Amino acid sequence: MKEFEYLKPDSIKETISILSQFGEKAQILNGGTDLIVDMRDKIIQPEYLVDIKAIPQLNRITYNKQDGLNIGATVTLNEISNSKVVQTNYPILVKACKTVGSYQVRNRATLVGNICNASPAADTAPPLLVLEAKVNIIGPTGEKIVPINQFFTGVKKNILKKGEIVTSITIPPIKDKWTGVYLKQGRKKEVDLATVGVAVVCIRDEVRIALGAVAPVPVRAFKTEELLKGKTIDESLLEKAGKSALTEISPISDVRSSQEYREEIIKVLVRRAILQAKGGHIL
Amino acid sequence: MKHKIRFTINGEVKEMEVQPNKTLLKMLREDLDLIGAKEGCGAGECGACTVLVDNEPVNSCLMLAVEADGKEILTIEGLSDDINLDSIQESFLKHNAIQCGYCTPGMVMSAKALLNRNPHPTEEDVKEALAGNLCRCTGYQRIINAVLDVAKKGGKK
Amino acid sequence: MLKYVGKSEKRVDGIKKVTGYVRYTDDLKLSGMLYARIKKSPYPHAKILRIDTSKAEKLPGVKVVITGKVVPNRVGLYLEDKTFLAINKVRFIGEPVAAVAAESEEIAEEAVSLIEVDYEELPAIFSPLEGIKPDAPIIHEDLGSYKHASIILPQSGTNISNHYKIRKGDVEKGFKEADFVFENDFHVPHIQHSAIENHCAIAQVDPEGKITVWAGCQSPYAVRRTLAVAFDMPLNKIRVISPAIGGGFGAKAGTTLEGIVIPLAQQANYRPVKLSFSREDVFTNTFIRQGMYARIKTGITKDGKIIAEENTFYWDGGAYTEYGVNIARAGGYASTGPYDIPNVKADSICVYTNHPVGGPYRGFGMSEIHFAIEQNLDIVAHKIGMDPAEFRRKNALKDGSATVTGQVLENVGLMQCLDKVTEDIEWDKREKRVSKIKYRGKGIACMYKAPSMPNNVGSSAIVKINEDGTVNLLVTAMDLGQGSDTVLTQIAAEVLTVPISQISIMTGDTDCTPYEWQTVASRTTYCCGNSVKRAAEDAKNQMLRLASLKFGISEEGLELKDGQIISKIYPDKKVKIADLAMGLTMPDGSGIHGPIIGRGAFIPPDVKDTDKETGQGDKPVAFWTFGVQAAEVEVDIETGEVKVLKIAAAYDVGKAINPELICTQIEGGIVQGLGSALFEEMKIEKGKVLNPSFVDYKIPTAGDVPEMKISIIENPEPTGPWGARGIAEPCMVPTAPAIANAVFDAIGCRINSLPITAEKVLKAIKEKKR
Repeated sequence: MKEFEYLKPDSIKETISILSQFGEKAQILNGGTDLIVDMRDKIIQPEYLVDIKAIPQLNRITYNKQDGLNIGATVTLNEISNSKVVQTNYPILVKACKTVGSYQVRNRATLVGNICNASPAADTAPPLLVLEAKVNIIGPTGEKIVPINQFFTGVKKNILKKGEIVTSITIPPIKDKWTGVYLKQGRKKEVDLATVGVAVVCIRDEVRIALGAVAPVPVRAFKTEELLKGKTIDESLLEKAGKSALTEISPISDVRSSQEYREEIIKVLVRRAILQAKGGHIL
Repeated sequence: MKHKIRFTINGEVKEMEVQPNKTLLKMLREDLDLIGAKEGCGAGECGACTVLVDNEPVNSCLMLAVEADGKEILTIEGLSDDINLDSIQESFLKHNAIQCGYCTPGMVMSAKALLNRNPHPTEEDVKEALAGNLCRCTGYQRIINAVLDVAKKGGKK
Repeated sequence: MLKYVGKSEKRVDGIKKVTGYVRYTDDLKLSGMLYARIKKSPYPHAKILRIDTSKAEKLPGVKVVITGKVVPNRVGLYLEDKTFLAINKVRFIGEPVAAVAAESEEIAEEAVSLIEVDYEELPAIFSPLEGIKPDAPIIHEDLGSYKHASIILPQSGTNISNHYKIRKGDVEKGFKEADFVFENDFHVPHIQHSAIENHCAIAQVDPEGKITVWAGCQSPYAVRRTLAVAFDMPLNKIRVISPAIGGGFGAKAGTTLEGIVIPLAQQANYRPVKLSFSREDVFTNTFIRQGMYARIKTGITKDGKIIAEENTFYWDGGAYTEYGVNIARAGGYASTGPYDIPNVKADSICVYTNHPVGGPYRGFGMSEIHFAIEQNLDIVAHKIGMDPAEFRRKNALKDGSATVTGQVLENVGLMQCLDKVTEDIEWDKREKRVSKIKYRGKGIACMYKAPSMPNNVGSSAIVKINEDGTVNLLVTAMDLGQGSDTVLTQIAAEVLTVPISQISIMTGDTDCTPYEWQTVASRTTYCCGNSVKRAAEDAKNQMLRLASLKFGISEEGLELKDGQIISKIYPDKKVKIADLAMGLTMPDGSGIHGPIIGRGAFIPPDVKDTDKETGQGDKPVAFWTFGVQAAEVEVDIETGEVKVLKIAAAYDVGKAINPELICTQIEGGIVQGLGSALFEEMKIEKGKVLNPSFVDYKIPTAGDVPEMKISIIENPEPTGPWGARGIAEPCMVPTAPAIANAVFDAIGCRINSLPITAEKVLKAIKEKKR
């Protein structure tokens, strides 16, 4: 790794000031599980590393029925998976967090880090999309809230501007009974990147669908959701849903999978996720 | 610019000055002669560098040495003293869960962390906890059996 | 009644390993150590026009910079075709063209980036099928002048570095007489050993010019010899120490990076130089398993007897095939698998390509060819409506059968293995449709393997009896994890009648431990075990002789029992080993004989060359190991995912010196085989490895382990210690084809290439539907 200066601010204000000052030359060090690999491979060579783990507000999980769930920037994936509050109220998020890497990685990797890294295959992204999460950002111009839908702007690109950091993610409360499913297809069942990821949330008759690893950014399948609106879910509708999902994505062939296989799997996983969310069995 | 850090390593308090661009793994191996943790991939994929930081297993190749400040670190060398082995180590020996030995320190540390947080894991729990530790020699089954055996005995030898 | 042999003794190196105490090469810190890095070729095939190292040399902290000029001698185990640094041209992406030694790894890395190299690209070859074409660009122009072992047959002016032939009987006649003739093609890609320890080597030169090398190598003596050739040095001036090995599987056989550190050390003012490979370096710069294309043509009678077979194997040997040529040969003399076939034509051809270097991988060609052979058998059995296990029984080698080389066999345990495995996998019970989307199937595969080594290579051992009757055992057989330290200690204990705790084994130092050809080929228990047995017997015989002098009783009247030489008739006439260890003190106070040093050496008896044209020979190998595996799989027919539920395995090991360690070997082999069956593939495009890390080269993890049922059969190998034969490689060989056959049983689709990915399976299912 190239030499750099290590800074450890203990306030958000200080962090923003550092990031604004150094711009491209600075990188945030959160969990480090993506960043340190990139630094070792010389893909990213920052001159300043800003460790945000000493900022007290960022490591909290809070929940109440009115405001929903708030997860701070430095909360690790294991902390989320082990949180009773998340297990009880948002089990789909627990499922997604647990599919990232290994237990060791999840002790360091963070939810916010996962979305800021903005890999098209990020496991936490599809569930956050169907939960309609909001990203809380603070920057030199003040605070703002960005719907998760708008947060990803390209492959490994997010909407953050110079000097801005994500302080937390808010998952709004769902006022009705609901179920959520996250299905991940990889080359192996564990410790693998997603070749395809599908998240579905069903709130009464509403079905929300999000797809990962099949487009430059993780996407909500709005057209497919529209197709399902108000209709009874049966085999033929599920088949139509799978085909419709294909029209909302643009999968590629890469070292992990071919485009054709991704297209096949999307159809299968969309069908299975909806079925499972609706309480049915995949068989 | 070097940073002063203060941390506990295998029960001993230490103060050191470290370069920011040094990983925790390299610091353990080069500066503290704790060579049990290994660099098998340098990218958090093989788990051979697993150590416990504040009782949690982490890939020390993905942590900077400066991040050890204020932390309690436990490595394989801290599990046994001159006389006694940890019950997990005894179980590994009993079950023939070691062949070349290279993945063993990382495996034992992951297992230690598992039994600390879940003294009665199922076989699935053990597999999940060890999923980030690659072994090429043993085929894993004996490692899993060794961990389950310790759990069955309630951690007693 | 055996006391130590045949018992599941605990590993003698277990505590060292479980405490993290063992020092592997990268753990060694020598004072004044320098760190090395290599400059790699970005092209798969190119002339080197110019290398400018001046900027690198000027960087503060850089001590040595070298290019291929300092290592002009070609080396190689079976064919001397490689140099440690490229000379004149590069033949694969990643080939080292220069190396640096500096005060730190960071400085060395920076220095490497300052080395400027100009290349002229040449047309490259990425498949053996391209390499054999008459107009293919030639990768080794001087092939005709390379020194090689007599058993290797390189073809000058081509890319063929070995062509091994079998011509047994008359295949054309056989095909004419056959009721059915089938032809099938198969493909096996490159994979890699992925031992968890990355390669590392340290070299230091002393003022007398003696070189010491530390490297976790499987074969210190082979390394020593190769380095001596490379650097024109006498053998006594090179010392190779293998401290400990974190997994071998063939990756650390022969030489890899040892030759790069020496010329650096020779200019480092006596400072040690360490070269540590990263995981990415290991993927591109150390041995990979050769790829292979196979075509098998089979002629059978309508009642299922194979009467003719024609096998053609094209091996993707990579840029240098100093080792791969013998893999091609092994593929040739085992080409039909463990079956009795009267007419066989085989051509096993090793071809140069501009891929990374092919080399020895557990199985040495057997996994690759058995993937083809065992699926082919399955295909043929199904085509004539015969049960695959029955088909194998009908054609299997038995006592009195002749192999493809015409060797007549005895002690063939194949049928017993087949019987045990079909019983353990419940072959006749099939639960095909578990649900609408989950289908199950069972598949079976047989295998055989002989140790692939030159006919005349040996092992040796030294036993030193200490003054207190404890023992030091010196060998250069390396414990890669397979447990050889323990097994060899057991053998010494058995002969010397001394408890295992009283024997300390030392290995891996060419200055002190005696010659061992290599720790490869599943030969260690057999070859080194025999040597240890002989060394212990030699020590025992010396002590019997001294005791005979002492007591005035003939040697036949004495025996070694529980650490004492004791008279068979007069039990009061006994003497402890300790009291004879330094020689015998006579009644008048004088001493005779001196310290007891037992020596043992072993070469497998009567192993001979085969005919160059026909490949026929009556004993081309030391022994054959037979084994069978069966797999039960479950396929998700919507995603194509294959889950291996259970593997049953049975091997005829002759004699299990340590049954537990054999089981652990087999378990590890099965899981490694599973990896090659389902996940592993080096994705190489135009010579570039696209997946040189565990992110995209996936190996099995704890969650992938199937239920395993393992059985040991014991038909003694007459020339083995207590009948033992090798098992280390055979246990990986049939796993992939057993899984492939099980997949066919589940879904009726053949996957003729590895790995059997969900993608391939789903595609096959969809095509079948059409």
